Amino acid sequence: MSPQARLALVVGGLAALLVAVAAAALFVGSAAISPGAVIDAGRAAPASVESVVTRSIRLPRIAVAALAGAALAVAGVAFQALTRNPLAEPSVLGVSGGAAFGVVIGQSFGLGLTVLEAMGLTGLAFAGALLAAAAVYLIAAAGRGMIQIQTLLLAGVIVGIFFSAAITVIISLLDVNRLGGVIYWLLGNLAPIPPGALGLFAILLAVGFGLVLSHARELNLLALGEESAQQLGVNAERLKLTIFTGAALLTASVVAFAGPIGFVGLIVPHLLRMLLGPDNRLLVPTALVGGATFLLVADTLARNVVAPAELSVGVITSFCGAPFFVYLLRTRYRGTL
Amino acid sequence: MSATALAIALVLVASAPAAAFSARDMLGREVALAAPPARIVSLVPSVTEVLFALGAEARLVGVTDFCDYPPAARAKPSVGGMVNPNLEAIVSLRPDVVIATTEGNREETFAQLKGLGIPTYLVAAHHVRDVTDLIARLGALTGREQAAGPLLARLERRVAAVTDAVARLPRPRVLYVLWPEPLIVPGREALVTELIQLAGGDSVTVADADAWPRYSLEAAVAKLPEVILLANHGANTGPIDEERWRRLTSLPAIRDGRLRRVDGNLLHRYGPRVVDGLEQLARAIHPEAFR
Repeated sequence: MSPQARLALVVGGLAALLVAVAAAALFVGSAAISPGAVIDAGRAAPASVESVVTRSIRLPRIAVAALAGAALAVAGVAFQALTRNPLAEPSVLGVSGGAAFGVVIGQSFGLGLTVLEAMGLTGLAFAGALLAAAAVYLIAAAGRGMIQIQTLLLAGVIVGIFFSAAITVIISLLDVNRLGGVIYWLLGNLAPIPPGALGLFAILLAVGFGLVLSHARELNLLALGEESAQQLGVNAERLKLTIFTGAALLTASVVAFAGPIGFVGLIVPHLLRMLLGPDNRLLVPTALVGGATFLLVADTLARNVVAPAELSVGVITSFCGAPFFVYLLRTRYRGTL
Repeated sequence: MSATALAIALVLVASAPAAAFSARDMLGREVALAAPPARIVSLVPSVTEVLFALGAEARLVGVTDFCDYPPAARAKPSVGGMVNPNLEAIVSLRPDVVIATTEGNREETFAQLKGLGIPTYLVAAHHVRDVTDLIARLGALTGREQAAGPLLARLERRVAAVTDAVARLPRPRVLYVLWPEPLIVPGREALVTELIQLAGGDSVTVADADAWPRYSLEAAVAKLPEVILLANHGANTGPIDEERWRRLTSLPAIRDGRLRRVDGNLLHRYGPRVVDGLEQLARAIHPEAFR
């Protein structure tokens, strides 16, 4: 089978799964609405309970979950290719922590999710993500060419700790009445966001995704080592800068619109690599669809397992991701650590 | 579904009701309602208490998990917590208005409710006059003015009885501990600060501009409090640790045995029970006046 046919088959299969999961998610929730009423919601009176719950609560939340999951999984693939390290991921690398610091600064000045304020929040998150990623890279790369896995992971942990301390400083100065909201946000929560902000979110993700996907072939060459890639005509420095920017933008947007949600960028690319092998031309588009599906499943669980209360989706992804990380350490990367 | 289609859906939802009745909430926002609200969801325990005290509980169709007083409030359907109420549960209750607070609920929740076309009426209370204002407003909103009048008169009589009893007594320095670790105390904008004043004491943390600032233990000790009041927060937050305070034996409050517990639910909520809280404070600060 040609690579194109294989890609079309896998992406098509995953997309069908995503549509099925999204459709199923539309039918479950704490409001008792019959399946028939959900189907009829498009025709129901706009102010009816069925219509509001289905079209204005569940649908936008499903959209946010799919977008955020897609972005995190693609950012994971990008960071893994960039660092040539299979355990790299936005939250493990401390990049989510840097972005969260930016967002908490914005929130402490009262920024919310109108389109203009959301731009400000994303800008701050992007600055924080770039700062964290640059710090991790500089710490890990100091003095050597090839970055060791353990150096990179430790650098990520340290930068993550630094930014969570910085967040704690801001939290300590917040009024008690705003504390609960910020802490709730820090756990990683999906919520329906206004249409304008949702549109902005989608545009930012399209830009980040485009940057990564358009360089997937060159990322494959980078896996051979920077020198080999250079000899094959890849401008390695420019490629790394582009991918770095794209992955930071994806991470920052998710943190700004949905909060820091961990481990999606680790779990999804690894499962796909087990299925498809290491070709980034396959991994980037399939991570997009697979990540969307994964986070949507996690969020549907978060919405329903303790209904009418809700869990944070970040809790669910961490419950899956932490054991998965340990499994990878114990099995696949035993020799390298 | 595209973002455009979503936008259209939201616009349809938002533009449905024509406003024929409007009220101004405690933050001065215009709240447009189709009629006096027959179905109210309260995201604030204090508001739940006021609605019951006014006899307007039939209009109350949803409350939070923290709305535990009066006991009958527990029988109302819950929409979840104050920080993360469940939007689907709120919509399912078909409320005419959601009453929420800027102190304990989140701004994101207000924005989401607005997007769903559900009016929100915001409340906040920093002073005793805000409590009476809240009772009067909710009385007017629910058509229970005839219950609000006598309720307010009764509350004012009891406040006056306390202030009369402590009028000529010395005013001790009071340290009020909302939360011990980290130490959180009432500042100028907290209702408790005014209640301590009315109960015949002077809060040592009144100079702080915030409502509930964090405070260093050193700074609190340096004010040499003569009375220390430890607030509890209901049964589910565990026992109060008095030992760490008893060790501070050089403090006048500890030396004179004036470390006391108070019931936080009576003092941090701004319903009619705030007067019970005031009487409790006065007894804790001036036990000699209430023998």
